[in-house]
Amino acid sequence: MHSISSLFHHTLAKPWIWAFIGAFAVWLATIIFTGGQGAGQMLTAALSFATFSVIVGIGQMFVISLGPGNIDLSIPANITLAGVVSMKLMDSHNEMILLGLGAALLSGLAVGIFNYTLIRLLRIPPIIATMSSSFLILSTAIAYGRGLKIKPPAALAEFTTTHIYGVPLLAICIVVLAFILGVMLHRTVFGQSILAIGQNPRAAKFAGISVEYVRFCTYLLCALLASLCGYLLAGFSGGASLNMGTEYLLASIAVVVIGGTSVAGGFSNLPGIWGAALFMFLLVTMLNTFGLSAGLRLMLTGIIIVGVIILSTRSKQPS
Amino acid sequence: MKTVQLMIASVALSLSLAPLGVLADTSDKKIALSNNYAGNSWRQAMLNSWQKNGQQAVADGVIGAADAFTTAENQVTEQAAQIQNMILQGYDAIVINAASPDALNGAVQQACDAGIIVVSFDGIVTAPCAWRIAVDFAAMGQSQIDYLNEKLPKGGNLLEIRGLAGVFVDDEISAGIHTGVKESGKFKITGSVHGDWAQDVAQKAVAGILPSLPEIAAVVTQGGDGYGAAQAFKAAGRPVPLIIMGNRQDELLWWKEQKDANGYETMSVSIAPGVSTLAFWVAQQILDGKTVAKDLVVPFLRVDQHDLEEKLAKTEKGGVANVEYSLIDAKKFLAEM
Repeated sequence: MHSISSLFHHTLAKPWIWAFIGAFAVWLATIIFTGGQGAGQMLTAALSFATFSVIVGIGQMFVISLGPGNIDLSIPANITLAGVVSMKLMDSHNEMILLGLGAALLSGLAVGIFNYTLIRLLRIPPIIATMSSSFLILSTAIAYGRGLKIKPPAALAEFTTTHIYGVPLLAICIVVLAFILGVMLHRTVFGQSILAIGQNPRAAKFAGISVEYVRFCTYLLCALLASLCGYLLAGFSGGASLNMGTEYLLASIAVVVIGGTSVAGGFSNLPGIWGAALFMFLLVTMLNTFGLSAGLRLMLTGIIIVGVIILSTRSKQPS
Repeated sequence: MKTVQLMIASVALSLSLAPLGVLADTSDKKIALSNNYAGNSWRQAMLNSWQKNGQQAVADGVIGAADAFTTAENQVTEQAAQIQNMILQGYDAIVINAASPDALNGAVQQACDAGIIVVSFDGIVTAPCAWRIAVDFAAMGQSQIDYLNEKLPKGGNLLEIRGLAGVFVDDEISAGIHTGVKESGKFKITGSVHGDWAQDVAQKAVAGILPSLPEIAAVVTQGGDGYGAAQAFKAAGRPVPLIIMGNRQDELLWWKEQKDANGYETMSVSIAPGVSTLAFWVAQQILDGKTVAKDLVVPFLRVDQHDLEEKLAKTEKGGVANVEYSLIDAKKFLAEM
C-alpha cells in the first residue's frame, strides 16, 4: 500500500491535467471561431453547469473507486426524487429552505440505504441493484410529484444563480465541498480504505478494514451527493421536473473516467472531475457553435472524448 | 370557416345520435393501451386523460375494460413483448404509443393476425394493418415561422431548439421550420441546439451557445424547452426574445407573468396529450363496426395571446394544455376526416 503522501503526490501527478487541457482547447477553438465574442460568458455558463456534474461525479467516483462492479445507476432517479420532494415541501417559501434541504438529503439517505440493502442483503450486483432501485425511486417521484412544477423559493433561486465577477457563487461552494471531500479521500482512514478496497478487497480485509461498512458509507455518500444535486438543480432551473436527472447518468460516469479515475477502482482523481465537467460542457458548446449537424456532432463528441481518455491514461504512471 | 365547421359538427352530431342505441355492441370488448414512456409531464397528462376517460367509459358500460400499460425503459423489445402479452390476454383492441415506427411491426402484425384492432397515435407504427392517428409535425414547425412572419415583419436572427436527435418527430418539426425560413427569406437560423424536449437540457444547451450568438429576434422550439430557454437568456443577462412555447403549464405561466409585466407576446403550439382519448374512441368505433380510414391526422393545439388566460386556467399545475375527446367529439372528428 502507498503511503499517504506518495498517493497524494501520485494522484496530483498528471492524469487530471488532460481534462483541463481539453477544456481549455475546446474553449479556445470556440472563441477563435466567434472572434473572441462571449469568451467570458461562456466560461461562466460552463462553471454554472459543470457544478452539477461535479457534485454527482464525485459521488460516482467514490463508488467506482471501490473496485470492479461498483457503480451507482440510481443517480438520475435520486436527483429527481430529491428535487420533487424538496420543491413540494418548500412550496416556494423562503423560510423553508433549510427544511427543504433536509428533506432532500433525507430522501438521498433513504435511497442510499435502500441501494446498499439490495446489494448486501439480497446479494444483487450493484449495476442491477441500483438500476432496479432507480425504477422504484422514479415511480415514487412520479406518484408523489405527478409532474408538478413548483417554483423554488426566491432566495434559493437567487443563491444558485448568483455570480460574483462572473464566477457562480454555487461553483465556489462546490469547489470548497470538493476540496473537503478530497481531503477526506486522501487524509482520512475512510478515504484510504476506499482506495485500499478498490485495489484489493481481500488484502484490505486482512489489513483490518471493515470492507462492508466502508462500502455502505460510500454508497450512502454517493446518494447524499446526488440528492444535494437534485435540490440545487431544481433551485437553479426554476423547479423540479420528472426528467431533470436523465442526463446525469452518463455525465456522472463520463466525468469520472475523463477526469482520470481508474474504472478498475483503487485510483481516484478528484480535481480531474472539475476539468472533465468543464470539458464536457465546452465541447458541446463548441460543436453547437460550429453549427454542425447532429450526427456529426455526436460522432465528434465520441472521438474527442476517446482522445482525451487515451491521453490521460497514457500519462498515468504505473503504480 | 367557423360556420362550416359548426355545420359539419351538427350534422355529425345528428348522425351520431342514431347509433347511440347500439353502443352495447362494445360493452364486453376490452381495450389496452401500450405506452412506451411515462417520464415527462406530457406523458403523465396523456396517461391521466386515458385513465379518466377509460374509467368513465367502463362505468357507462360502453366498453368492458380500458387498461393502460407502460414499459419501463422505452425499449422496442420490451414493448414488443408487452404487445404479445396483450394478444395472449385476449384484448380486442390495442392502442399504441410506439417506441419506434417500424420496429414493432412484427408484434403489431401478430396482433392483427389474431383479429385484434391496433390503433397507433403520437408515436405511430407503419404496419399497414394498423390505424394511425398522426400529427403533421412539419406543419407544426412551419406554423411557428408563419407566426413570426406576421409578428416580426423585419425578420431577424433565430435560435432553433431541437428535440431528441435521431427521433423522426425532431426531424419533421425541424424540416418544417427550415422550409418556413427558406420561404420567408427574412429570417436566419444563427444557432441550433438539441434540448431533448426537456427544460433542463434546453437551458444548458442554450446557455452554452448564447455567448457566441448575435442579437436573437426569436427562438423556435419543439415544446417542453421554452421555459428553459427563457431561464438561459435571463441568466446571461440578455433581453429575452420572442420564444415560441410548447403548451406546458410552466411555459404558459411564465408567458402570462411576462405578459402582465411588460406585454410580452408570443404563441404556443403542441399536440394535446388528450389525443390518447381520441385513439381510445377510434378503437371503440372500429370495434363497433364503423369503417374508419387507416390514416388520420389530428390537429395541433395552439394557444395565442388572446386565449392564454383561458387555456392556462384550464391547464393543471405542472401539466400540459389539453383537449380531451368524448365519443361525440371523436365521431365529429371522424366525420370531418
